[in-house]
Amino acid sequence: MPGHAQLLPGTLDLLILKAVSLGPLHGYGVLLRIGQISGQALLIEQGALYPALFRLVRQGLLTARWGTSDNNRRAKFYELTAAGRKRLRKEADGWNRLAGAIASALAARPEEI
Amino acid sequence: MRWWQIRKRDADLERELRSDLELEEEEQRERGLSPEHARDAARRAFGNPTLIKEQTREAWGWTTLERSLQDLHYALRQLRRSPGFALAAILTLALGIGASTAIFSVADAVLLRPLPYPDPQRIMRVWEQAPDGHRMNLAQPNFEDFRAQNHSFVSLAEYGYGFESVTGGGEPVRVTVAAVSSDFFKSLGVEPFLGRAFAADEMRPHGAPAILVSYGYWQQNLGSAKDLSEFHLAISGTDYSVVGVMPDGFDFPSGTSAWIPSELDPDTSSRTAHNWRGIGRIRDGMTIAQARADLGTIAGRLKTQYGKEVDLDNASVVPLADAMVGDVRTALLVLFGAVGLLLLIACANVAGLLIARTSARAKELAVRAALGAGRARLARQFLAESFVLSLAAGVVGVLFAGLAIRMFPAILPADLPRQQGIAMNLPVLLFALAVTAAVALSLGLFTTWRAGGADLRDALNAGAHHHSGSGAVQRLRGVLVAGEIAVTLVVLVSAGLLGRSFMRLVSTSPGFRSGHLITMQFSLPPDMSAPDSGAGQSQPAAIARQASLMDDLIARLRALPAAENAGLVGALPVAGGDNLADGDFLILNGIKPPANFDDWDVIAHNPLHVGHALYCVASRGYFGTLEVPLIRGRFFGDQDNLNSINVALISETLARQRWPNQDPIGQIIDFGNMDGILKPLTIVGIVGDIRARGLDLPPAGVIYVDYRQRGMNANSTPTILMRTTAPEDEIVPAARAIFHNIAPDAPVTFSTFAAEMGGWLAERRFLLLLVAAFAVAALALVSVGLYGVIAFFVARRTQEIGIRMAIGAQRGDVLRLVLGEGARLAAFGVAIGIVASLAITRLLSSLLFGIGTTDPFTYAAVAVLLSLIALAASYIPARRAMRVDPVTALRYE
Repeated sequence: MPGHAQLLPGTLDLLILKAVSLGPLHGYGVLLRIGQISGQALLIEQGALYPALFRLVRQGLLTARWGTSDNNRRAKFYELTAAGRKRLRKEADGWNRLAGAIASALAARPEEI
Repeated sequence: MRWWQIRKRDADLERELRSDLELEEEEQRERGLSPEHARDAARRAFGNPTLIKEQTREAWGWTTLERSLQDLHYALRQLRRSPGFALAAILTLALGIGASTAIFSVADAVLLRPLPYPDPQRIMRVWEQAPDGHRMNLAQPNFEDFRAQNHSFVSLAEYGYGFESVTGGGEPVRVTVAAVSSDFFKSLGVEPFLGRAFAADEMRPHGAPAILVSYGYWQQNLGSAKDLSEFHLAISGTDYSVVGVMPDGFDFPSGTSAWIPSELDPDTSSRTAHNWRGIGRIRDGMTIAQARADLGTIAGRLKTQYGKEVDLDNASVVPLADAMVGDVRTALLVLFGAVGLLLLIACANVAGLLIARTSARAKELAVRAALGAGRARLARQFLAESFVLSLAAGVVGVLFAGLAIRMFPAILPADLPRQQGIAMNLPVLLFALAVTAAVALSLGLFTTWRAGGADLRDALNAGAHHHSGSGAVQRLRGVLVAGEIAVTLVVLVSAGLLGRSFMRLVSTSPGFRSGHLITMQFSLPPDMSAPDSGAGQSQPAAIARQASLMDDLIARLRALPAAENAGLVGALPVAGGDNLADGDFLILNGIKPPANFDDWDVIAHNPLHVGHALYCVASRGYFGTLEVPLIRGRFFGDQDNLNSINVALISETLARQRWPNQDPIGQIIDFGNMDGILKPLTIVGIVGDIRARGLDLPPAGVIYVDYRQRGMNANSTPTILMRTTAPEDEIVPAARAIFHNIAPDAPVTFSTFAAEMGGWLAERRFLLLLVAAFAVAALALVSVGLYGVIAFFVARRTQEIGIRMAIGAQRGDVLRLVLGEGARLAAFGVAIGIVASLAITRLLSSLLFGIGTTDPFTYAAVAVLLSLIALAASYIPARRAMRVDPVTALRYE
């Protein structure tokens, strides 16, 4: 898919946590939010999303409750728990360190060696 | 998470997906799309909800259970779609499972379950052992030495038993009474449930006579009275007070109604009078080998000390449970083996059916595989089907077994020990469950392996063909059926060998004409008890009273219009042959007859003066009734009476064995150790041999003495034999009336010789019947299996056959082609089966009579029978093949 970035393994959980950290979301909303905040570069498959949401709930990183959406529809909303917030920070730090390291590695020039 | 929460979570996911989908739909609508377009767009954007659900469920991780249920559901649906297949498979497996469960219930009760006594593994039977290794019961003084000198037994006891006429509780009854020494009940670990055990004062010579009765006797004859002080029972003129009642279910020795102390009547001091059975309880932690060595040492000491006065040089110690079961073990193991083979054949048959089905379903399987069902998923599917089939078969099989167990009392041999315990109980059900599980697993794995071997793409391509079975499938089914034929041959050969032995046994002449013989076994009236072997005194008066009573009885019975002849004997020969006593006798020629038993023992030290024979009291009419021929000399006659010289007849075998080159007639012998009468006997005649000890043993040497001279002693089972052509139910009431008239307190049992022989043969007959039934079942299964394979062969080759016929093949050629296939499989199976039988039937050797385990006739007959059946099973599809119309066949897919 041109214009779409390949999702690295293990990054889906991070993206979901990030998306939900910006405000409670229903399942489909998580998907849209990820698309939105990645500039439509990252598109998540529903088939991967719902299992991941379930996994995160079971790990205690998200909580789910039935609520009402903006336009008065019932939907299942996901929120970040304290543990989820902590995990998000840790994963984000880890990711940034990795990304920085890879970026600097890729920026290396022969004379610097 | 519980399964009901699973359902709730499923609904929750469904709702979440729906609401999310609706949200998306609304968003699309807000972008200005029409409602229909919005829905489609939302669905396009959202993806496949079912797939999402599936994938989410995978993540939930509990799907194994749900998937198994789904598999089961699917399996049930598949089987419902082919009820014929399901029914055939279930019934076949149920036959195998049911038969093996039923046989297991017998083996469990008889062989496996511990005896109902505390610490049963410590209870031992004890024997003296002769130098040639055979076991003998204990002689009183030897037993006493064993008991006093051993270090390995907590308690050692002796017992003996026999039929006695017991009066005092209503009608006189003829029941088994056991004489038991002190410590008998202690050895078994059982106490009376009412009253008390024998007191010390009752367990000594000439003590106060006391008796314990069985629970059953107490219920039937003593009216379950709580107060026993009133009850006295008379046996052989002695009055015993009832002191206790043994608990319900206590049945040792088997069938005993009452127990009396053995110490009341002092036994002979002979060390070779093996009158007592030994039983003991070994010390905790002591092994059987240690106990055996301990008693063996004592036996060796006795041998050194007493030399020729003893005939033991060792001792034998065997767990009671093993000793009780004895020969039955082999028979039960054979049955178990046969039923196991039947189960194997049943499984092979069903496996064949499953293969056929798998190849017929190849297309369906290929479609499922193409739609994404993984190999594991298909394997689970096969397992589920086998599971459903086997479970249903297990349930039906347990029902079959339940029916069989209900029928057992009617068909089990009456003397099979411990058969009261046969029931459909937990161990039996667990066994059925285990067999069912094993069947399910092996069939499931087998079909999975098969399906794994088939290339599904090929199957899909070949799906257009009606019969997509490949050559490999045909070959595998062929191997299965050949295996079945081999196993069936083993079962058939076993049945054949047992059947031939049985036929030989029943056609073996006992030495006399055995038809139309009525038997009347009775007990002597108490006032006529004959000379007692222990007392060593003759009781001419008692013998005279006996003789006059018997003469009277026989004369009256003979006078019945239907009676041809009647005679008296001390124990029914052949069927009751175990009741005949045997022992050493003295050959006196020229020696002064012994004045007492010490003299007797001295003479017996010289082997030249000793012979060995069965001892049998008889009347002149006995030989006439049985039509035993006189070889030489004379029969008993009227001149033989209490005052004349005592005479004896000997059997031909004894004459040949003991007097090979001499004339036994006129020889003077002494057999006083048998009846306590030291008066010598003069041999006056030689009579024909009879197989007195049983049809399966060669005729033994017998010494017959005249009841008018020697009388019936306490150990005999007096029996009148009457030859008559009248039916049993006509003659018996008349005979009963005569007995009632002449000897009202002598209990008598009427039967026929044939019926008594039937009882003697019961165990062999039972074994034969069951093995034959299994053989028939195996034969039926294997013919169905073979038919299936050949039918499949024909169906697969219909097109080829059509072509052959179109280019000129005759019907005979087609017949040969198809029958040839059947014959090939049969020959293969028969060859393997014969080799297997030669190895396996060796286990049967102890159960055979008159033929070896390699009896060529049996093998040939079975091989021919099986081949004929195989050809017959192939012939039906072969005929169908012959009728193939070439034109139709060529179009045939």
